[in-house]
Amino acid sequence: MRLSAEDTFRKYGDRIFSAAFSVCRNRADADDVVQDTLIRYLSLDKEFESEEHLKAWLLRVAINRAKDITSSFWRKNTVEWEDYMDDLAFEEPKDSHLFEAVMNLPEKYRAVIHLFYYEDYAIEEIAVILRRPAGTVKSQLNRGRALLKNMLQEEWNDDE
Amino acid sequence: MTNKQRYQRVFSQLHASESCLTEVTKMKHTTKRIQVRRLAAACAAAIMVMGMATVAYAADVGGIQRTVQLWINGDLTDAILYLQDMGYTFTFQDQDGTSHEVKGGGVAIDNDGVERSLTEEEILADLDAPNVEYKEDGSVWVYYHDSKVDITDRFDEDGICYVQLKTDSGILYLTIKYQDGFASSPHRYPSPKKFGTTAD
Repeated sequence: MRLSAEDTFRKYGDRIFSAAFSVCRNRADADDVVQDTLIRYLSLDKEFESEEHLKAWLLRVAINRAKDITSSFWRKNTVEWEDYMDDLAFEEPKDSHLFEAVMNLPEKYRAVIHLFYYEDYAIEEIAVILRRPAGTVKSQLNRGRALLKNMLQEEWNDDE
Repeated sequence: MTNKQRYQRVFSQLHASESCLTEVTKMKHTTKRIQVRRLAAACAAAIMVMGMATVAYAADVGGIQRTVQLWINGDLTDAILYLQDMGYTFTFQDQDGTSHEVKGGGVAIDNDGVERSLTEEEILADLDAPNVEYKEDGSVWVYYHDSKVDITDRFDEDGICYVQLKTDSGILYLTIKYQDGFASSPHRYPSPKKFGTTAD
């Protein structure tokens, strides 16, 4: 299956952006990742088995691209994620606390946490997307959860 | 509300900019796969024999000189390559017998962030890359091995042109900024923001 540029953007643009933002914590960089990911998809001669297959591929590319940008010596976009928070309309104060807590997690946990909680992937699926051993993903998920619990206290449930 | 539900509510506030789609659409419209036309059948046969190498042969002529054959504007041309500490010079005669000298070079940065001279292989790979020429009549041409394509009318309003070159090893993506450099990649179009005088 193949989607047009517009359909891909409408369907997955925000998901790609969110996944990228969870890694690079910068709006301009995350937008660059969306653009790069779409261009890569459009340039690719590859048939995807299903929309799930496509979504997993887009998220993998986006996360890898976001990591590259984050570690680039030439990184220019230095606006802090705190500034972006001002533009977000959170429903409740504790929502902004959660966003802030996630942004304060070490980078290696953020992608795992995002794929688990936002994309609803299982550990084995996250392992495939991130190309990490399932045991590593499980351990990073548990550590990330523990850190969130520590930061958010009663605002974060125990959900093993 | 579960952690998942709250997490999804929080991160559903994040939205990609519409400009992403605009940029991608613009690039898509200016990116037409161009089947470069072959020029000389004899040369094409030679390329196949030599495995698509720009340098059809490179023989030591002593010291740091090499005699090489380079694709120069679509012609396989004999040249003398001089390797130096931070670059190279090559000299050749065109079909009119006029001598030319071209200098190039640069450095590479290794995994530890240390600068080093380019290796001979890297220099030869650089010489193997496509070339863009601005002719006196105003036309703009991309040369790659024995193939050339006129891209004069393919620049968008920002002066950017995207070209795909079909090679034996796959597609080569070329981004050209009018009179401001070009970059190529076997994976995707290099961003025009990353090179030239207006690079980020």
